[in-house]
Amino acid sequence: MLEVATMPVRALAVLASEEACERVAGLGGACRIGPSEVMVLGDVSPGAVERAVGLSDPDGLVQDVSDGWTLHRLSGPAAREAFARLSELELPASGFVQGEVSSVGARIVAEGDRVDLIVPSMLAEHVRARIDDECRELLG
Amino acid sequence: MTERPASGATGQIRFEGREVSLHEGDTIASALFRAGVRTFSRSLKLHRRRGIYCGTGECPNCLVTVDDVPGSRSCITPALDGMTVRREGGWPSTERDALHVADRLHGLMPVGFLYKTFIHPRSAWPLAERVIRRATGLGPLPGGPADRRVARHLRTDVLVVGAGIAGLSAALEAAAGGRRVVLCEERAIGDGIAPGSTLERIRRLEARARTEPSIEILERHAALGLYEGPVVPLASDRALVQVHPGRLVLATGARERHAVFPGSDLPGVWLGRAAAAMSGLHGVPIGERVVVVATTAEGIEHIRTLARADGSIVAVVSPSMAGELDGDVETIVDARVLEARGRSRVREVVVRSGENSRTIACDALVLSLGTVPRDELARMAIDERVDVVGDAAGDRRCDANDADGIVCLCEDVSTRDLGRAWDEGFRSAEILKRYTTATMGPCQGAMCGLALECFARSMGAAGAAGSHRTTARPPLRPVALETLAASVHEIVDKRTGLHDAHLAAGARLDRSGGWLRPFGYGDRLEEYRAVRERVGLMDVGTLGKFLIAGRDATRLVDRVFATRVDDLRPGRSRYVIALDEGGYVVDDGLLCALGDGAFYLTSTTGGAERMDARLREWTDRFGLHVHLLDRTSELGAVLVAGPLARELLERVTSDRIDGGAIPYPGHGEVIVDSVPCRAVRSGFVGELAFELHHPRSRGPALWESLMRAGASFDIRPHGLDALETLRLEKGHVYLGQDSLPDDTPAKLGLGHAVAMGKPWFVGKSALERLSALPATRRLAGLAFDRAPNDVAELRGAPLMTDGDVVGRVTSAERSPVLDRAIGLGWIREDAASRAPDLRAGPAVARVVPTPFYDPEGSRVRA
Repeated sequence: MLEVATMPVRALAVLASEEACERVAGLGGACRIGPSEVMVLGDVSPGAVERAVGLSDPDGLVQDVSDGWTLHRLSGPAAREAFARLSELELPASGFVQGEVSSVGARIVAEGDRVDLIVPSMLAEHVRARIDDECRELLG
Repeated sequence: MTERPASGATGQIRFEGREVSLHEGDTIASALFRAGVRTFSRSLKLHRRRGIYCGTGECPNCLVTVDDVPGSRSCITPALDGMTVRREGGWPSTERDALHVADRLHGLMPVGFLYKTFIHPRSAWPLAERVIRRATGLGPLPGGPADRRVARHLRTDVLVVGAGIAGLSAALEAAAGGRRVVLCEERAIGDGIAPGSTLERIRRLEARARTEPSIEILERHAALGLYEGPVVPLASDRALVQVHPGRLVLATGARERHAVFPGSDLPGVWLGRAAAAMSGLHGVPIGERVVVVATTAEGIEHIRTLARADGSIVAVVSPSMAGELDGDVETIVDARVLEARGRSRVREVVVRSGENSRTIACDALVLSLGTVPRDELARMAIDERVDVVGDAAGDRRCDANDADGIVCLCEDVSTRDLGRAWDEGFRSAEILKRYTTATMGPCQGAMCGLALECFARSMGAAGAAGSHRTTARPPLRPVALETLAASVHEIVDKRTGLHDAHLAAGARLDRSGGWLRPFGYGDRLEEYRAVRERVGLMDVGTLGKFLIAGRDATRLVDRVFATRVDDLRPGRSRYVIALDEGGYVVDDGLLCALGDGAFYLTSTTGGAERMDARLREWTDRFGLHVHLLDRTSELGAVLVAGPLARELLERVTSDRIDGGAIPYPGHGEVIVDSVPCRAVRSGFVGELAFELHHPRSRGPALWESLMRAGASFDIRPHGLDALETLRLEKGHVYLGQDSLPDDTPAKLGLGHAVAMGKPWFVGKSALERLSALPATRRLAGLAFDRAPNDVAELRGAPLMTDGDVVGRVTSAERSPVLDRAIGLGWIREDAASRAPDLRAGPAVARVVPTPFYDPEGSRVRA
């Protein structure tokens, strides 16, 4: 019903003008954190992101922050039920949200029966322990 | 006594030493009643016998302990094979309760008796409290660890609370309109309703709802309250479901009216629905001669149900209803009950019709007197829009009633008690409630709320219309603490990337500043010595770590910190302090200039989130163009400290780390055994020291490389305990431990970190005003004589001179290198100069200059 996997995640932080962030938000894996902040997930070339930012904001910052984040992937038919036990956020059918998961500020990407919880690495064990505890009977 | 399982029995429950057979569909109450139990509980204060009354989980009468869980509502709790049930209250037992004498003494214990009696002498209260607590209450809480409860959030277009006819209809209508619907019901749908036309309608609607895919039915889920959002928490035996509906429909129905007259709380006095369910649903006659008072059509249904199974019925009805009953039911028209009499249960009823009173022998009295809307949930709504449908939207009416009797079943408050409270000046529903505790028991006014309201109204209580009702508050239903606590986890521990390495090294980990950190590795003194004499390692990845970039980065740090920073050249770093707008020290950190106007900032472990918020707040306030990236989670940091620190690093890096390349205070980039690091010179422990800030994932490799390369130096990892001694010897201040909320830099001896010449920084103007005032106290170095063996005992000790408290010790340690006890502490300015010796607990303290160790700082600059 539910499978949980914990893994590293490739992540770039983009801090730049709204216009530059708008441009970057069009890239695959981009999650809009705020008006002037984007997180780009996945194997996206930092160079490509820097070029996109530079077109609008030469002062913009692109930083690889992969070590700062850890991915807990919930998958299977019970993935959304598991998420509802961990967070009061409304999960979209497909897309990105951010907010608290098990009292931790998290970034969440949902797609069908898969929910990716991207949490600060320093709190990854806490969130994993909460998943294992709250979703015990959902685990396949 | 053991009852033989009856034929058709579906199981047994264990009840106070005997087995009780179960029948299909039994509640705990129906099984016990069938087995002959009539007294289900004793009332809270007066220890009056109480039997099944409402039958719908509203009143406190049938609360029992089920499987060690007290306060279980036996009338709506399904009886399951193997359950253990016992009654609550009473000594030595509920059945034979010596404390019943309290009822005889009721006249001597008027309302407010406890408040007024046990306050003098005050010393008697602890004993009185113990006695009172033993004599009252609803059974002990279960021991041992709490059962686990699951919590989940549920979002839906429509939440319908209550699955009676109105609720089911509302759910079906919403679903037909294309809405996602959650329909919750405290019991199973239709449970507890005697066979009849109402139940048939419910079953028809239920069948449709169950086949409707957009309706999620949550049975045995009780709504606890209504919160902003709206959020409606639902509690079941095992879970807490927090529903976030777009629209809320309340179909909570109505409860039967509670009657107040002498003896109305005797066992054998039933509300109509309870009696009808016992007789018509569970097949257990409630008596051989039953008096039924019915004022509504539902009451007539109850009479018909009871007439099918019970003995002879005497019906007391209004004239318009007399014709609806069969001829074999004895009918008394237009009468009212004056009193129910009996010792352990009702034996006779006195009714009055016109001028005539009549006493009727009976063993059950059933009251079907109409209903009161169950509208507490609706009344909790403030801004939330709720639709109230069905009986929940009905009227409340007060009947003229001056009879004495128990108004509040939970708290044993009588009509006379309310009258006395009124006479004492408690003249509104809310303060009558507070003084008498009526409506404050387990039923939360479900039974007595209307009676209290009607009393206040009839007495002409002050207040606007509607103010005669007390406030409805969650929880609406008794709920286990573990259910409320489900999914609440206050403690969130952060871990560094070296957590496993610390465990492998036998570290003693504990919480500090939101992190799990090593306090020691087994030999505190040896850890300390490694740093002072050779080289030691410490995980300082918990420090707050920030990248501050963008064209206004310098402006931001110049304004946020009181320290001068605009002259900081790339490769150099500086200790900085931040003040609040009152001029008080709130944060400190180490600011490293990176070039291109960018900075790398480290803050204290516990202050990282505060620092992040402060930097963002001032960026916004000034409208600065700054990119702030919190790298605390992303970067680890290892402190390499000791006179051999540079020698060690030279073994693992080919980059220059001499004082020319990385001066103190300064920083530089180095590759340590293939791990890219920013080496930051640190002075906190008072030795040559480098913090190696590195990618978190490379931490274990870096740590292992340093430990391996340092083996020939007898390198040691050290924890916070050793650090406490090391930093105290240098007289460094721990903000929070050594500081107070109103500390200016001068009081903390941090005046050197303030650049008053700057045009502006947060807190500057306040500091200018404060500096005009005479100093009242300061943080001072202390040297102790005659200190206890455990010097830490001195922390927090008052500093005394001539019997006056003139300060307080904030830190105290034994310094191995000085071979004496040292500390920091607050001292009044006047005392610091005039009192050479101060008392600190058993020790004598002297004010001495800091740093205690290496005051020239030559070792740090090595």
